[in-house]
This record gives sequence, C-alpha cells and structure tokens, in this order.
Amino acid sequence: MLAGCLKNNAAAQEALYSRFSPRMLGVCYRFAKNREDAEDMLQDGFIKVFTQIHQYRNEGALEGWIRRIVVHTCINILKKNKKFSDSVDIIHANSIHVKEEIIPSIMQAKQVVECIRTLPLGYRTVLNLYAIEGYSHKEIANMLDIEESTSRSQYTRAKAMLEEILIRKKIIQKQKKRTTFYGAVSPD
Amino acid sequence: MEKKIYTDDFEQLLKEKTDQFRMYPSKRVWHSIYNDLHPGRKWPSVAMSMLMIIVLMLIGYLNTGDSILNRQIAAGGTDEQVSIATNDSKKVKNKNRPSANAKDQQLVNAGSGGPAGEDIISFLGIADNSFLTNIDPATGLNNDLSTKNSGVTFVVTKEQPENRGKDILQTVDTYIKTNQIFTDIAVVNKKKKTRAISPSNSNRNQDIDDQEEFPDGNLTGTNSTNKITTELKDANLVTTTSISAGSPESNDARQEASLVNENSITKKDLNAKKALSAEEKAWIESYALHNKPPRRGKWKGRLAIELYTTPAINYRRLSTDTKGSAAAFANSDVNNAVSHRPGLGIEAGIGLSYAFAKNFRLKAGIQFNSTSYGIDADETNHPILTSLLLNDLNTGYSYPNTRTSTLANPYYNTTALQPVTVHNTTLQVSVPIGIAYKLASVNKLEWFAGASIQPSYIFDGNAYLLSSDMKDYVSEPSLMRNWNLNTGFETYINYKFAGFTLQVGPQARYQLFSTYKKRYTLIEKPYAVGLKIGIVKGF
Repeated sequence: MLAGCLKNNAAAQEALYSRFSPRMLGVCYRFAKNREDAEDMLQDGFIKVFTQIHQYRNEGALEGWIRRIVVHTCINILKKNKKFSDSVDIIHANSIHVKEEIIPSIMQAKQVVECIRTLPLGYRTVLNLYAIEGYSHKEIANMLDIEESTSRSQYTRAKAMLEEILIRKKIIQKQKKRTTFYGAVSPD
Repeated sequence: MEKKIYTDDFEQLLKEKTDQFRMYPSKRVWHSIYNDLHPGRKWPSVAMSMLMIIVLMLIGYLNTGDSILNRQIAAGGTDEQVSIATNDSKKVKNKNRPSANAKDQQLVNAGSGGPAGEDIISFLGIADNSFLTNIDPATGLNNDLSTKNSGVTFVVTKEQPENRGKDILQTVDTYIKTNQIFTDIAVVNKKKKTRAISPSNSNRNQDIDDQEEFPDGNLTGTNSTNKITTELKDANLVTTTSISAGSPESNDARQEASLVNENSITKKDLNAKKALSAEEKAWIESYALHNKPPRRGKWKGRLAIELYTTPAINYRRLSTDTKGSAAAFANSDVNNAVSHRPGLGIEAGIGLSYAFAKNFRLKAGIQFNSTSYGIDADETNHPILTSLLLNDLNTGYSYPNTRTSTLANPYYNTTALQPVTVHNTTLQVSVPIGIAYKLASVNKLEWFAGASIQPSYIFDGNAYLLSSDMKDYVSEPSLMRNWNLNTGFETYINYKFAGFTLQVGPQARYQLFSTYKKRYTLIEKPYAVGLKIGIVKGF
C-alpha cells in the first residue's frame, strides 16, 4: 500500500485513506466546529499526507505519522480563522482543586468527544494537543504562537471545565471523599 | 515529543476514550482528494459540458425562425397531437386522428365562433385537413411539409426520466466493507446483552440525564488504578490494551485479542461484531450527548434544497408568419420597423437538487418569472382605426382584423404628439427540470454548468401588438399564449460555508415558442440574460 502511494497509485491511496480516515476524522472532529469543517480538515490533511508520503521514513507507525500531519493541518486551519489569545491570566496549576474526588466510571467515546467540543476553542485545542495528542506545553506554545504559561493555564481551565461538563452530563460520577488536589501539570 | 507517562487517571482515560472514537467521512471528501491528486482526469468534464450546452442550443436554434413556420404551413393530415389549454383551461387530446370531422369543427366553433367575428380562438386541434402530420412529441415540431394550415399549437414535452443512479444501500454496504473495522465497546456490550442502549430498543429522544446507569458502573473504594481497571473490565467497558498515538498498526489486532481474552468473547462473537450494519454504524456515529437518532436514509445526503433569484435583462427577436397578404407588416423586416428597448426582469424560485452521480445533479423546482421590454410609442389625442394582421386558421391565409388604437409607432406615424414608453410584460410560473454537471472543485469551491427545460404558464401580462400597416400599436393581451416552453443555460460557482452553499453565476433563458398565439402573424421569441444568485442547503 505504501509503495503504491509512493507511485501515486490511486487504488493504493484509496486503500490507505479508507484505513485511516475514520480515526483521523475523529481527531479532526475534536478540533473542528462542525462535521463539515472536520471533513475539510481531513481532506487537507490527507492531501498533505499523499503529497509528502515520500518523507515518511518508517520511523514509528504510519498511523502516528499521518496523525501528526492531520493534527498540524487542523491547527493551521484554526490559526487561519482565529488567533489564540494569550491574554489569559497566568494561574498556577497547584491552585486548582476540586472538593470531591472524581473517579471516571462511565465514558462513552462519542459522549466524551462531544463534551470536549463544547469547550471554547482555545481550551479545546490545548486540551486536545496536551492530554490527547501528547504534545508538551512548549510545543503547543510554538504551534499556537502563545506563551507556554498561557498553554498551561488554558489546559488547567479546560480540564476543570471538561470535568464539570462530564459531571453535569452524568458521564462521570463523583465520589465524596477527602479533598485532594487534582490538576497537576505533568512535566514536559 | 509525545508524553509517555500519564500521572493523571483522568487524562489517561480521556485519551483512551477519544482514541476509540471513529467517524466515517462522506464520499465527497475522497472525491475531492482524488481530484486534487489526479487533476488531469477531470478535464474531459469540461468537454462534456460544452457538448451538452451546444446540443441544447442547437435544439433551441432549430426551433426558431421561419423554417418551422414554413414546414407547419405546408404540412397536412393528422398524426398524433396533444394540445394544451384553452382560454378556459380546457385540455383536448387528439391522438392518431384521421382528417377532420364535424366534432372537431364543433370544438373549434364552440371556442371561437369562427375566424371572421371573434378575437379569441380556442387552443384546440383543428379540423379538416389542417392537422399536422408527424408531430414529434418531444419537440412539438412537424417534420412533414404537407400541412396547409398549422393546427398544432403547442406540445408539452414529457418530463425527462429520472436517473435513479446506484442502489443507495448497495453503495453504503460496499463502503462499509472497505472501511476499517470499528471496535466499539458499546457494540460489544450490546452483543453481550448488557443494559447499554441499542438502536432496537432505545428511547432515542431520551435526554442524557434520564439515561439508565450501567449495573456495574458504580465504583466504590479507592482511586487506585488497578481497582478501576479491574472493575471497568468487569463492566466490559474498557480494554486492557494501552492505546497511544504512534502505536503500531497491529493495535486493532491487539485490541481484539485483548477483548477475546479479557472479556471471554468468542471468535464467532468477534466476527459477528465486525459485520456492523449500516444502521449500527450510523447509530454509533450519531449517538451523542442528547441521544440523537441515526440518519434515516442515505438519499438525504444527496438531496438539497435551493432558493434562488435571477435579475435579468430581457430581449426579444421578431419575425412574421403571414401568407397571401400585401400588408406592410407581411413584407418588411419588423425588427427594423420598431423601436424597442431591453427591459428588466426577475426570476425567483425554489427547487430540489439530487446528486444521482458523482458529478451530476438532477434539478427540479418551481419558479416565478417576470419579463418585460420597452416599446417607444407616441400617444395620440384620440383613438384611431387600425387593424391587426391575423391568420385564418382554417384557410391558412392572413387577413386584417379591425382594431382601435391610441398608440402610434413613431417610425411610421408622424401624426402623434406625445412620446411614451409602454412595456410588453409577462408573468409566468415555470417548472424547471434540468441537469447540472460539476466541472471542477477546489476545497470549498465548485464549478457547475447546467441546462434545463421549463414548461411555463403565463398567467398575466401586457401585449402591445404592431398593426398590419406598422403605424400603430394595439393592446391585445388575449392573443398571448398561456403555455410556453423555455430553456435555460447556466454556469455557476458554489461556495460552501456554515452548512450552506452560495451559488452565483450567469444564466441565459430562451423561449422556444412565440409569445403570441398562432393566430397572430407576429412571432416573438424573448430571451433573457441574468445573474443567478442562490442558497443551497442539504437535508
């Protein structure tokens, strides 16, 4: 399949697209405003994948390589349409806590994704990049042209907001317990 | 670059759940990618659309001018004829009728009272050797030159057969089989008859807040990872396979193996799980916070509704249909004997568009048209006696019919005093049926070319008709046809935004038959050129 794509073979390209497009569209959907925008991001992403397929060096999984391209495409499209403000006040992560312990119990994939999509654009993007895609705050700051501290604060707020949404929607359950700190930022 | 260590359970589960999420893109995404990667293969579409437009224009051109009139006058006998609408909206069908009989004559007389005294002739099949032969039902043209008196007035072409296209279900089924297998825990739970909500027994309108909880969902105790994992495993809600970005391509296989091992699912169950129906896939994708019902049918994805308007400039072309008359009208080029100016018209309509193939759209709808053009005239101080040159539909010869007028043609009549501009107008309702072809597409932009035929009903209008000596204008809207046939040609750009599509492009509309009834010797063929602006929304 990869060899066919390198030769610009349409059948090989379609096979690769069919294999990875469902998951990649799920990735795009988390960044996009609606399904149509997500499909546009997917389209641009795969065009870049096929035009840059010769740069893939078999280091790591092909899916991971495709995913990075798709995520970068999503970010570029979002940046074209909206600037990510870095005017958010810097809030140290340690000051964020919840009174009750939250233990994720029931999560359905689509419900979680829809909850993520209800977040404001900046929160959603940072949350997607950090918690799900695995980028560091430094890398996120470079991608979005914001400060690293802004990325941290946005992520903290995003996570708190998401937890609140998931609780309100009864997707996760709270267990009353002693007060614990929740929301420590992982090291890069 | 990627974080390897998750110290937060919430983040870990968040990532696992989002990695399980799949969505299936519409076919247009792949088509757009394909066209972008292989642009050379879409160039034949330009040639095809040009060919289609040229063929339709040729048909329109062959339906114009004296050639048709001469053939109709010379033809005789009857073959098959369908005539539409009289002044009182009566339909008469004469199929394969031989030469005239008394009954036909009665029909004529009942409507008209004879050519000598009445202005209005019923729009019927005509008796007595004046039927046309060899009528082509598709075009209404007479191919036989033997008819003496053209009795055929108008033939409505039948609706073009709809192209059904592929079987939608077959297409969906094929599409699903070629896609990646979707391993969703909810489907597994459904198969294992848990209390997960399924398409067959769910209350789809139920709000998420009212949703039942899973029996094993209440976790107690500590927040240790092991306990959570164990209990979630017991609830069949999570796999034990670690999923992260950049994992090997065998991740799906590992997931399946883990499901089999951890949740005692047999291979048979697994294979059964793999064969998801279109309904299940649609439900899985659409199941969201508010329990949205799945899409009810694939055909809706191909259907769209359009609203459009087309401001246009109206022109007209004049010719005559006379026989045996020495009137100036019959022996001059009327286009050079009048002072007319283009007028502003408007078209507004609503329609449906169905994408029956990758690059084709079938369109149908209903629209309102208003046409107009100006006539330079002079208003007289008093009514003057004049005449209109009409055709005797029985004999085929032209004769003057007396009228009065208060408008003079400044070209020929210098006695009038007051210049004035009057307008010949029509108000029409049309049913456009057509086809559009996608020439190219880039991102959110698409370029289409289309053509349509538009059976039209004229329900109102003004008609200022040139007198037989071309010196005056006579107001006689009763000589206007009620039914006509128009053709439309257009090319437009589609721009997609916020779930809508904006459509903009030039359009030309041409009327195939004269504005006036056969009885009047002047043939008027109006045409309009405008800019179409529309909004399209899919279902």
